[in-house]
Amino acid sequence: MALESIKGLMKKTDFILMGLCVLLAAAFLVLAGSNVARAGDFLTIDSLFFTVVCLLLALTFIAIPAMTLRERGMLHNPFAIGEGIAPARAAEDVHFEGSTKLFFYVLLALLVLTLVEVLLAYFEVPLTLMLIILIGLSLIKAALIMAYFMHLRFERMSLVLTLVPIMVVCICLFFIFFPDSFRSHDLRSNPVAPAAQGGAAH
Amino acid sequence: MSTEAHAERLTGTEWDGGALPYRVGHRKLGMWLFIVSDAMTFSAMLIAYSYARASSESWPTPFPFNPSILFSTTMTLCLLASSFTMVMAVKASAHNHLKSARRWIGATMVGGLAFLILHLIEWKHLIDDGLRPFRLADEMARHWPSAPPLFGASFFSITGLHMFHVLTGVLYLGWVALRISKTRHEDVEISGLYWHFVDLVWMFVFPLIYLMSVDMTGGGGGGSH
Repeated sequence: MALESIKGLMKKTDFILMGLCVLLAAAFLVLAGSNVARAGDFLTIDSLFFTVVCLLLALTFIAIPAMTLRERGMLHNPFAIGEGIAPARAAEDVHFEGSTKLFFYVLLALLVLTLVEVLLAYFEVPLTLMLIILIGLSLIKAALIMAYFMHLRFERMSLVLTLVPIMVVCICLFFIFFPDSFRSHDLRSNPVAPAAQGGAAH
Repeated sequence: MSTEAHAERLTGTEWDGGALPYRVGHRKLGMWLFIVSDAMTFSAMLIAYSYARASSESWPTPFPFNPSILFSTTMTLCLLASSFTMVMAVKASAHNHLKSARRWIGATMVGGLAFLILHLIEWKHLIDDGLRPFRLADEMARHWPSAPPLFGASFFSITGLHMFHVLTGVLYLGWVALRISKTRHEDVEISGLYWHFVDLVWMFVFPLIYLMSVDMTGGGGGGSH
């Protein structure tokens, strides 16, 4: 009897928490949408940053209800590979997934991506373009290493959600310094401009 | 604890008394948390380097494709190969093939040591050229007169911290290999996590420090970024 009532209470708290998560996710989506709608020039660092942070937070909040729905079989993962590994049911003491072939393919992909990066340097691609491509390729490589070599692909989703979003958000927050570095670059390369403006005002 | 009880403890939902909501041991979770914080350390250093570079009028790009970039590419291949052998070590340990696990860990350590030795050779060349943390080598200063003297500081601090991680990793792996019959499988997996993280960091250090500093003009100018 007591156990039943506790379970009922759990269901209620579950429901309230899920509702709160959905509400917050919707709020962040609305915030991102209103930012896009109101911003005249959308492609500025500030605007992009704000939108991406809002979308990421919305995704983080919606992930928990979505996973609960999936656990209860009401939602199917469209990105599921193969027959669905369903790690929660694998109960052996030592579980190890992934064949040598899979890891070999991952290594091959990493080698090919590295080769592409080195070729960029060989063909002397302009630095700004090269930087963008290099960062993109490096992010793919990091994702491959984390997913397969570090085995995150086969861990529980709760571990992935605890570790990855916080890391990505914190690292993205470092980018807040860059407008300042561009400003000091501009100050260094045209130090005359402010003085000339002052002269014109006189 | 019986296997079934253990399995139940692992797989029950959090509300049903599942004691391990992440289904990893506390050590593995600890290693993951360390990796997250260490990733932030490295990204802070790389961002600081990018900040200094983007705010400077010019920045030295002193590495010729042949030999510097080819040399550092070889180092990258050493590290990638050692990451693969570490995966094989963890796999062997999962199947309880301790001898072969120990051999794969040995191969990983060889890869790490090769990386370290190549890296130290490169450092020696740069130091012999006159590069110091807060002073450019004379030749660089001639080619990039308006560049700040921070190239050495960023290069030595970032690659130095990474080198320290590789050294620590080799020692750690050696310790795990020695005690492999006494440790549990998860401990081998944790050392693998650390090693892959060291590899992962290099996947950002290599393009940002080396490839972005490839000498395109034969020592003429330098990009502002």
